[in-house]
Amino acid sequence: MFAQAETVATPEVLWWALVPLLVLAGAAVLLLTVASLVRRLPEWLPAAWTIVAGLAVLVSVVPLWNEVQDDGARSFLAGAVGIDGSTLFVTALLAVAVVATALLSRAYLTREDLPGVELYVLLLLSAAGGVVMASANDLIVLFLGLELLSIAVYVMAALHLRRIQSQEAALKYFVLGAFASAFLLYGIALVYGATGATGLARIAGYLSTTILLEDGMLMAGFGLLLVGLGFKVAAVPFHAWAPDVYQGAPTPVVAWMAAGVKAAGFAALLRVFVLTFGSWSGEWQPAVWGLAILTVLGGSVVAVVQTDVKRMLAYSSIAHAGFLLVGVQAASDRGTAAVLTYLGVYTLLACGSFAVVTVVGGAGDDRHGIDAYRGLGARRPWLAGAFAVLLLGQAGVPFTAGFVAKFGVIAAATEGHSYALAGIAMVSAAVAAFVYLRILVALYMEDRHLEDDDEAGAVEVDPAPWGPRIVITVSVALVLVLGVVPGPLVDLAKDAVPVLVGG
Amino acid sequence: MLLNQFLLLAAALFAIGVYGVLARRNGVLVLMSIELILNSVNINLVAFSAVSATVGGEIFALFIIAVAAAEVGVGLAMVLLLYRNRRSIDLTEIDQLRG
Amino acid sequence: MLGQYLPVVALLVLAALFAALSFVASRLLAPRRPHDRKLAPYECGIIPSRETPERFPVRFYLVAMIFIVFDIEIIFFYPWAVAHRGIGLFGLVAVLIFSVAVFESFVYLIGNGALEWGPIAEVRQAVSRRFGSEVVRPGVRQVGLEGRDAGNPTIEGGP
Repeated sequence: MFAQAETVATPEVLWWALVPLLVLAGAAVLLLTVASLVRRLPEWLPAAWTIVAGLAVLVSVVPLWNEVQDDGARSFLAGAVGIDGSTLFVTALLAVAVVATALLSRAYLTREDLPGVELYVLLLLSAAGGVVMASANDLIVLFLGLELLSIAVYVMAALHLRRIQSQEAALKYFVLGAFASAFLLYGIALVYGATGATGLARIAGYLSTTILLEDGMLMAGFGLLLVGLGFKVAAVPFHAWAPDVYQGAPTPVVAWMAAGVKAAGFAALLRVFVLTFGSWSGEWQPAVWGLAILTVLGGSVVAVVQTDVKRMLAYSSIAHAGFLLVGVQAASDRGTAAVLTYLGVYTLLACGSFAVVTVVGGAGDDRHGIDAYRGLGARRPWLAGAFAVLLLGQAGVPFTAGFVAKFGVIAAATEGHSYALAGIAMVSAAVAAFVYLRILVALYMEDRHLEDDDEAGAVEVDPAPWGPRIVITVSVALVLVLGVVPGPLVDLAKDAVPVLVGG
Repeated sequence: MLLNQFLLLAAALFAIGVYGVLARRNGVLVLMSIELILNSVNINLVAFSAVSATVGGEIFALFIIAVAAAEVGVGLAMVLLLYRNRRSIDLTEIDQLRG
Repeated sequence: MLGQYLPVVALLVLAALFAALSFVASRLLAPRRPHDRKLAPYECGIIPSRETPERFPVRFYLVAMIFIVFDIEIIFFYPWAVAHRGIGLFGLVAVLIFSVAVFESFVYLIGNGALEWGPIAEVRQAVSRRFGSEVVRPGVRQVGLEGRDAGNPTIEGGP
């Protein structure tokens, strides 16, 4: 099969469309090579390099966006890679998350006295994987992107050398993540067997034109794909890893997991289910419906009984995944736009919240009990105020961006006549609000005496370094601004609805 | 048909692998079970590829082999890290993270 | 067509039968009078409560890593070598980009001292003992157990 002597037509490469990916991957390779060859790098260099790469990606997305809006989506590399509005939207979100994570990591690594080139390299590689996933037009490419993203994050979770929790979290994440990838692969294999193609456009074409007499293999493929992607975005009942991993992994890495990995995972879900399997939406919608209900309810209810703030935020991120699934379930353009809006808002909320957790965690990264937050409002009014805004945003209180996001997905669900789902989502949003209120009460109502603190000797929060400070300030400002003026983000998300271009 | 036999073999390997991941306590054996699942996928892909006379599946199998090697490298590193800290690779002893 | 496998199946069945029969026979025929001494793992000495720790040099693991790097490389080089006439310059460029990425990880491994063992490592250690830590790269040894115990909260039951 390979031994053909005549020349094969080589695929066309649109280099300009690959710029974000090339910047991320190139920056990672270059940084790692330089760090291996040069003995002593200045300590600030890797972080600065990563931030510059992230900003460069953000800048490079703008002309690409205009190009795509004017000329429509494209696919290239023999139809294996596509570029459309949603690709660029998610790429921009990933770039924002990279910059935020790099800012947090710099402060974190300095405080914990850890060697740190690897973290930035892995962050860049993982972001490159996310971009590959968001632009995948072929199941092979999708899988490669997913693995690039995941393997890098497994290692990032283990990077705190002196915390055994970090290593255990990484091993748990690795075993369950690899298990999930294997399920996903099996699903891909079955879909390939049923349709005879791995290209998304071809599969979509096949599914919309062919009537399958025996669709058991295809259904099994759908199911396994859903299980695999459900694991990655932490949907109940495949969420078991999330709280443990969030609790154990270094906090900046958790910010990346919550913001970046989730964005890439949902980009993949949208591409595979809503776009490719769109003509069969009657078959997979019930499954996503059940998954969405379990996830919103499970995430919100279990979060209430947690005592560790990182675990609370982990369960709340599970609940957010549930809301995103509500938007996916709608299987409409409106639902997709709502999911993308939600992803944008959640990226800000996650980066900001975990920035606060990074600061409060203190040296050793283990002050995450809710006790560490008691009376923070009196001692550190600005930090506590910012955290309060971010928590209210996560709860979806009006005049924060969280409200816009939740409203969008629920409106998309009612438009698709999934009234029960919309109702349950609203109920669990109310339950989840209780969780955030619990932290707020700890922040402001339960003022602990400072003398006790001195005796305990551990609860004083160090002033935030400038990195987390920037992340917190920017995310709080954007959450408030987008809460009052949501128009720009919503319009962007509407323009970013993905399209499949055949190859 | 011949395809069925390959699919049955792959399904059996998949089931053994899933059982191994769920039931085994030894970290290295869990890694091997994951490898087993990935290889069952490879059998599936190559069989489908041969039946449908497209090369997509075979190329995919090559990529899976490469990714599996990278994944197992990372996994072994983590088991090793665990071993050095705990002197044991029993996954049920991972109990530091509780809510 | 499958008939040629019949002897193998017959052998498998016979083997299983023989094993089952032996178990049943020993269960039925052998006298069983268990007591403490008989059930103990050793006739004398301390009963081990867990596996004894053994020293495990991480260096071997790094060598294994180098193997994985080239292992992955060859997976993609082989198809390219078979098809390179057909795909020409495009394939060459693609494979070059790929090998840059592969060799970059090799550079990282070497930079972290994956090949510094044997005499070189000993000389370096001797030099560093005499002149302080200026010469030694922070790498493998930093990750190793030496010097980590202070910050490592959970070594229990270790040596």
